[in-house]
Amino acid sequence: MVEQDIKAQLITFIRDRILAGDPGRELDEATPLLEWGVLNSLSIALLLNFIRDDLRVVVPLEKVNAQNFRDVRCIAALVHASMPGDGGTALSSPRGRLAGIEGTVS
Amino acid sequence: MNASAVPGPRRGSVEGTAGLHSLVGNAAVTYPDRLAVAGPDGCIRYRELDRAADAMARTLADAGVRRLDRVVIWAHKTVATVIAMQAVLRLGAVYVPVDGSMPGTRVAVIVRDCGARAVCAPADAGTVLRALMDPGVAYVGLALISGADGPRYSASVRPDDPAYILYTSGSSGAPKGVCISHRNALAFVGWAVEVLGLTPDDRLSNHASFGFDLSVLDLYGAFWVGASVHLIRAELAYAPAELVELIYREEMTCWYSVPSVLLLMMRGGLLDQPAPVRLRVVVFAGEPFAIVHVRALAGWAGARLFNFYGPTETNVCTYHEVLPGDLHRDRPAPIGRPACGDRVWALRPDGAVAGPGEEGELVVEGPTVMLGYWGGPPRRGAYRTGDLVRVLPDGSFDYVGRRDHQVKVRGQRIELGEVEAVLASHPGVAHVAVVVRGEGIDSRLEAFVVYRGGRQPGVVALKRHSARQLPPYMIVDGIHPIDTLPLNGNGKVDRAALLDLCCGADGRA
Repeated sequence: MVEQDIKAQLITFIRDRILAGDPGRELDEATPLLEWGVLNSLSIALLLNFIRDDLRVVVPLEKVNAQNFRDVRCIAALVHASMPGDGGTALSSPRGRLAGIEGTVS
Repeated sequence: MNASAVPGPRRGSVEGTAGLHSLVGNAAVTYPDRLAVAGPDGCIRYRELDRAADAMARTLADAGVRRLDRVVIWAHKTVATVIAMQAVLRLGAVYVPVDGSMPGTRVAVIVRDCGARAVCAPADAGTVLRALMDPGVAYVGLALISGADGPRYSASVRPDDPAYILYTSGSSGAPKGVCISHRNALAFVGWAVEVLGLTPDDRLSNHASFGFDLSVLDLYGAFWVGASVHLIRAELAYAPAELVELIYREEMTCWYSVPSVLLLMMRGGLLDQPAPVRLRVVVFAGEPFAIVHVRALAGWAGARLFNFYGPTETNVCTYHEVLPGDLHRDRPAPIGRPACGDRVWALRPDGAVAGPGEEGELVVEGPTVMLGYWGGPPRRGAYRTGDLVRVLPDGSFDYVGRRDHQVKVRGQRIELGEVEAVLASHPGVAHVAVVVRGEGIDSRLEAFVVYRGGRQPGVVALKRHSARQLPPYMIVDGIHPIDTLPLNGNGKVDRAALLDLCCGADGRA
């Protein structure tokens, strides 16, 4: 999976699950997600679950920080870097999988 | 446990000229080589913290800071930030902690409001600040400095001199500064040390930002007894499993946070493994904690569980230790009985004191009650909290709700009026009302917006607009366009009707 594909999927997820569709199509890859309150602790947990379950990539816990989740561009770079070299199936995080997070975002 | 393991001011009093800053100095004498603070930028022992605080005090004094001057400290939680706070106190000045996540424009509002003499911030914030501040305000770079042999600073303070100002969300649209004296802070900390049985062997977590009063126990409770405090990076909120791991790795003995954080950790796997052996006290405060979660926590950990209650204006004024009998309740844990030497009662609408079974507004009088709001008149008489409580048969209290539009969102205090004022300042917004949907960790701020016509700003545009003036936790989660705001029989916005619209909505922003 190339980084551009990852960006597209992340944008779609954030629009649909966190911004209730973003009808104005205002979200882009440079939107400051944390600074503008698009992402918070709960929605980041949902996003990490999406990355794990749909993109099949487990982000190392120590990489979950404000810099790496600043915008879609940074998140995509992190996800791409966390993939195995052939861009194929997910690796298990050496620290174990994230616990499931219940709850939906309207 | 001997609460005076480190010689400090007696509980509820400030002896002689001793102030909040005497705690580190005392600990440095008795436990010089014990760990004082562990943070993202390193660790520091009490002897080093003592000297570094003096070195920083000299830097601040050279920048013109004098007794009772206000110094805004705009920074994330680090050892350097703690050093700066202690340095300000040693000059008899007043520190104003502002979290590093606050937008620069909001920091500038606070700097102007408190008439700050100086701002202490990391080097990369200097450019932002200088563009926003009056030229007369000094900028002092925040850095992890080590103190060499140099002048000692320990200003003589009066018990009712201000020690720090905590800015909270204001209903009028601007943040307001709660002014806390040395007496206020020491009355609370001394009481908490005794109730929690803190000793030099304790390792206290610090989860709350320094701008929130939960952090006062973390820091000064540790300093009082010569224990260590372990600063937790705000970013760990995004990785609850990492937060869980930290409790084990740092061998925390005392945890203090809002219930939303505990719930986040419980969802992050906290209860999936054996409880840490050393964890002996868990304190929660700031919002109701559903009894089902308290029950789960009690069943997992052998630690003592406490519910601390009190607005920023009083710090902790009541408390309750969770007992086995509480776990059969169908309500959150009680907020309990008076703490810290405060006198607490519930006032009925008719002005009489509420008795068992009755409800009323909680009123507080005593040593922890603030001096007043910065820039406002000195506080006179008892403080009315705006919280509704029910008096239990034994005279303690149960939290019922609020009388106004102040809310808690994931444990953070927010005045809806301030959020609304910022949204209403957008040129595309004619009218707006904000409600809170859900509870605790699942709570969301939902805004109902009547547009002014023409181009209608969407959710991202309104978030961007809000981010210029509000911290991230005060930015609304959802936007709902509406033709007109519903009014109740009193002509005020019918927030209950808006909440019904929210819950019936199909999730459209």
